Amino acid sequence: MQQLYDSVEPRVMDADMLKLAVGEQGPQEEAGQLARQEGILFKDVVSLRLDFQNILRIDSLWQFENLRKLQLDNNIIEKIEGLEHLVHLVWLDLSFNNIEAIEGLDTLVNLEDLSLFNNRIAKIDSLDALVKLQVLSLGNNQIGNMMNIIYLRRFKDLRSLSLSGNPIADSEDYKMFICAYLPNLVYLDFRRIDDHTAKLAESKHQYSIDELKHRENLIQARLDDELARQVELEKHKAAFVEHLNGSFLFDSMYTEDVEGNKLAYLPGVGELLQGYKDKFVIICLNIFEYGLKQQEKRKLELDTFNECIKEAIQENQEQGKHRIAKFEEKHLLSLNAIREESDLTNIEVRIVEYGEDITELFNVLMTLEMQLVEQLEETINMFERNIMDLVALFIENVQSLMAQCRDLENHHHEKLLEISINTLEKILKGELDEDLPDDVRALFVDKDTIVNAVGASHDIHLLKIDNREDELVTRTNSWCTHLVDTIHKDEIMRNRRRVKEINQYIDHIQNELDNLECGDVID
Amino acid sequence: MEVLKEKVEEEEEAEREEAAERGEKMTRPLETRREEPPMTQEMLRDLEKKLSEIEITIPEQPLIVTKDTIDISKLPLSYQSNTLKEEHLLQVADNFARQYSHLCPDRVPLFLHPLNECQVPKFVSTTIRPTLMPYPELYNWDSCAQFVSDFLSMVSLPDPLQPPSHLYSSTTVLKHQKGNCFDFSTLLCSMLIGAGYDAYCVNGYGSQDLCQMDLTRDVCPLTMKHKEEVQEEEKVPPKKYAIKPPRDLSSRFEQEQKMKKQQEIKGEKEKRWKEEEQRLLELEKAKIDPLHGLRVHAWVLVLSGKREVPESFFIDPLTARSYSTQDDHFLGIESLWNHKNYWVNMQDCWNGCKDLVFDLGDPVRWEYLLLGTDKPQLAVAEEEDDGMNDDEDMENLGKEDEDKSFDMPPSWVEQIEISPEAFETRCPNGKKVIQYKRAKLEKWAPYLNSDGLVCRLTTYKDLECTETLEIKEWYQHREDMLELKHINKNTGLNIDYFKPGHPQALRVHSYKSMQPEMDRVMEFYETARVDGLIKREETPKTMTEYYQGRSDFLSYRHVDFGDRVKKLALNSAESNPRPMVKITERFSRNPAKPADEDVVERVFLIPEERIQLRYHCRDDHITASKREFLRRTEVDSKGNKIIMTPDMCISFEVEPMEHTKKLLYQYEAMMKLKNEEKLSKHQAWESELEVLEILKLREEEEEAHALTISIYDTKRNEKSKEYREAMERVMHEEHLRQVEAQLDYLAPFLAQLPPGEKLTRWQAARVKDECLSDFKQRLIDKANLIQARFEKETQELQKKQQWYQENQVTLTPEDEDWYLSYCSQAMFRIRILEQRLNRHKELAPLKYLALEEKLHKDPRLVDFLKVFV
Repeated sequence: MQQLYDSVEPRVMDADMLKLAVGEQGPQEEAGQLARQEGILFKDVVSLRLDFQNILRIDSLWQFENLRKLQLDNNIIEKIEGLEHLVHLVWLDLSFNNIEAIEGLDTLVNLEDLSLFNNRIAKIDSLDALVKLQVLSLGNNQIGNMMNIIYLRRFKDLRSLSLSGNPIADSEDYKMFICAYLPNLVYLDFRRIDDHTAKLAESKHQYSIDELKHRENLIQARLDDELARQVELEKHKAAFVEHLNGSFLFDSMYTEDVEGNKLAYLPGVGELLQGYKDKFVIICLNIFEYGLKQQEKRKLELDTFNECIKEAIQENQEQGKHRIAKFEEKHLLSLNAIREESDLTNIEVRIVEYGEDITELFNVLMTLEMQLVEQLEETINMFERNIMDLVALFIENVQSLMAQCRDLENHHHEKLLEISINTLEKILKGELDEDLPDDVRALFVDKDTIVNAVGASHDIHLLKIDNREDELVTRTNSWCTHLVDTIHKDEIMRNRRRVKEINQYIDHIQNELDNLECGDVID
Repeated sequence: MEVLKEKVEEEEEAEREEAAERGEKMTRPLETRREEPPMTQEMLRDLEKKLSEIEITIPEQPLIVTKDTIDISKLPLSYQSNTLKEEHLLQVADNFARQYSHLCPDRVPLFLHPLNECQVPKFVSTTIRPTLMPYPELYNWDSCAQFVSDFLSMVSLPDPLQPPSHLYSSTTVLKHQKGNCFDFSTLLCSMLIGAGYDAYCVNGYGSQDLCQMDLTRDVCPLTMKHKEEVQEEEKVPPKKYAIKPPRDLSSRFEQEQKMKKQQEIKGEKEKRWKEEEQRLLELEKAKIDPLHGLRVHAWVLVLSGKREVPESFFIDPLTARSYSTQDDHFLGIESLWNHKNYWVNMQDCWNGCKDLVFDLGDPVRWEYLLLGTDKPQLAVAEEEDDGMNDDEDMENLGKEDEDKSFDMPPSWVEQIEISPEAFETRCPNGKKVIQYKRAKLEKWAPYLNSDGLVCRLTTYKDLECTETLEIKEWYQHREDMLELKHINKNTGLNIDYFKPGHPQALRVHSYKSMQPEMDRVMEFYETARVDGLIKREETPKTMTEYYQGRSDFLSYRHVDFGDRVKKLALNSAESNPRPMVKITERFSRNPAKPADEDVVERVFLIPEERIQLRYHCRDDHITASKREFLRRTEVDSKGNKIIMTPDMCISFEVEPMEHTKKLLYQYEAMMKLKNEEKLSKHQAWESELEVLEILKLREEEEEAHALTISIYDTKRNEKSKEYREAMERVMHEEHLRQVEAQLDYLAPFLAQLPPGEKLTRWQAARVKDECLSDFKQRLIDKANLIQARFEKETQELQKKQQWYQENQVTLTPEDEDWYLSYCSQAMFRIRILEQRLNRHKELAPLKYLALEEKLHKDPRLVDFLKVFV
């Protein structure tokens, strides 16, 4: 048998092979005739079977975009590859192959049933993307480590698992272990797990499972926390005031400020710095609160606007639908009348009448659309004005608060300078009692040095404040322009779409009428 | 007071004229009695005699209850005599009446203490016996009033111009189910006060219709249509970004002109309509009543305040209708009372009851009889000053000699009881007929009619009630859940309404004839049906069905039928369904599918083999896709069958897609539709069958009209009765067993001892031992008995077997059969005996121990035996 396999030449998955398979498995009888006439596009194929083909390498499947079910069993495939484009795949059968590792399945997020029976797999992994997995068949493989089971805990929908024929299945505890660690499992090795076994397994492995659960819960909680924080930050970012609800800005002022940190060792500077920080943080908090409030306001404005626009469009659509429904009723009658009319002159009259009706419908629909466009334009302009005003007000107020920050900084700078010069004098006179670190003492050489150092610190602080302000202003402005642009663009797109739709419809009716005329002429 | 006096004089004059006109001897004792001293017992007797004379002169008006029908001897003592307190109260009342007649000489004497059925004068307030009925249905005033009006039949007052001489207790009235308006009011008032209402009996004057319970000029309340509540649409404030409406370019002047014209036409119409109405009203108006304003009537007043009554109102106990206190029917009030006090109206009634203020705490408006009782204080803040002054007035009125602490004695009437049977039967003999304006209402007790009919309302076209317009019949307890039958005589339309629970989930069935394939509408309880059918309408040529909540989103199906094709006689056994010409089906939106693939309407034109599809409209579109399939079986030039050609499917697509252009796709779609067409046809055919089935079922139900009996209905439910009897039997047996269990084991042994002496310790021990040894002997005897029987059976069996062994050859088959059956029976007996013996052996020691234990605990022995333990 083995020799037979070896002697057979592996086949390449080429277009001919696929075409043949598609043709064989496609529609039969009358539909088959049609299919042969027209040919079947690979992307329309939903299910494909390629078993016993001696395939060594999966290839050329990229065209089958809509494939739901793929059978590649009983081949000699060694590596899972070439399936990246089959994102709609639900059912994948790769049993009876020579696969050694699970891989290449990361894009198949819709996969529900995966069979890797009778392969050479030693480890269960790389299945993370398969969140919908329900049935997993891994029998007759080389899985030897029981810990592989724990990996499967992440698949909440997994109901059926088969692992018989693996080294782990020989273990005494095999069944109990799986039942205990995968409590959602219903079928193991294609047999239903009875309640009794499940209960027994649970009690047997209770301690280790509890521990595992605890750990999982902790991880989950941490993830949730992280997520919540992220969400909160996003919210603040949307209000353009992230990191202003604390001393973040103040701290950042001092992180790059070497001299400032050094000067903090001077006597009296500690208290000064503390007071400064408190005041600064209060202003930051003010900005933050204000920013959130303004964000609410903007959101409300935007929501009202969207709602009104939606209502207006809805109403307009209803009118349009009503018109079309009315027309269609008449249209059916007149078409029938034209068909049944025998007198040629009468036909002429009716056709002309009908043509006029079509034109009128076109006019009415277009008028409705133009009306809507005008109305919307007006509303959008109004909204634009209001949102611009809001943003301008916001920026203005934030700037005034930032100016307060700068004042504080200036004030602090003066105080610091004074203290520094006093200290310098004391040092020069040798009156200073306290010990200063050497690098700090190095600053107090002469007046220029110390003034420069304090000045540099001051400059860095001001720069930081300026940067933050600039960032806020630019982002706010760009958000505003982007919003307005999107609204305008959306409206234009909507208008284009509607006009296209109306034209298409009118063309269709006109065509129908023309066809009728042609038919008449031929008759 | 002046005005009142005039009014009374006027009334008297009118009345005198009236009496003269009638030429009857109708002397009102008012004049004579005015000078009379306060009423004494003799006077009352006199009066009563006079009244009875008057009654004789009008023989067509029967006495309320003739005296011989009341068995006075069976009535309790409180009915036959007065207690001391009651006597005192009567004196107080007499005193009050004397002062009243002195102060208001023009007014009619008060209705204070009429005689009861035992000819004993009783004060009216004590006749009210507040009772809360055990039926939850009687907790509210409307149902209470309805009950009283249904339960009693009305007897008019002996003299319509005077209060009656007798006022019977409510128990007697209930027993005879007859009474005048005073009896009605007393009973209703008792029930309402019992239920917590602030209710009063009112003695006053009413209109003729009211006094004679004449409803022929009233519209039947059941025929009145419910006023549809006009919900005022809330004006939503225009939103900030609401779009502006397009400019209106039409001429305002033209509009105005048009409006004017329309208004003119409307006005003219209205005028004509009003005239017509006027004419009709004139026709209906009653003749003027010569005794208007003099007819004595009694009714019930319910004051606001208690039981969340928002506004005071009157209840006419005869008709159970409620009226506002301003109603035209009520022409004046003399006095009113409840179970605690009696008030005389001092207000002027020239305008009926319209101007009366029901503030009983106001002594100027309402003169009270007893001071001590709590009176309702309704005084509004601004009237408080009046109240202060009135206190002085009251003293002037000379109440000083009254016992201030005197309160109303308890009622002399026995507790009012209504048996469940009487409550259910309601109307006397379970039937009542009420004539309304252009309508007649008949009521029956449940289960009285075998078809469950409980109420029938017949509406007539004319006032004389000759031409029937429509009939409404209400049913109860029907097995087929029929609730209401509405027959319109004009159109011939019958509408049956069903309660939930019909086997076919029928809700409404309206039809003109029970023949199939005619105009009919059936509505269903859609939640009870698997197919979610709500409504099925039929005409001779069409059938329309409406669905809801189906998994295939079908909401509507319309089938057009063609003419029936004549069938060959060969297969006449099969039914010949009408051919279907067109099936239209509509679907609601299936959110799982994209709009372009979700069909909203599909039409099968069966003879033309044409299928039309219309798809749902996308959310942001105004046009929807359409597709039309035309199945043609043609042969192409080469003689091959054409399977599918592009012109067999005409489609319009909102957004043209590639795969739908393909013939294969279209072919598959068409094949699927063909199958679905078959399915729809089949379903339509099944619907037809179902209609036939329902009609058959309805006919059967109509014929059988079985009534259901609730499992809680202990009287009618045979099953529960049996069960209850069985339970009683079991209880009885249980009781017997218990008696047995209480048998005294020691009795025979104690009897041997000398009686009346106390037991000594030695005696006690002996008694106990004797008892135990006796019991042991019994057990042994029983075991022996079983053993003996067992042995006897075994021996007999052995004998038989021997006999069989000997005669086996000569036996007939019957004998053999007999022998075999005997053997099996004997074996059975032996086995049972063996089992019993074993069981006895097992139980005997236990029983012995149990007895010993019991004896140890016996109260007579316990003291002596304790020592041994």
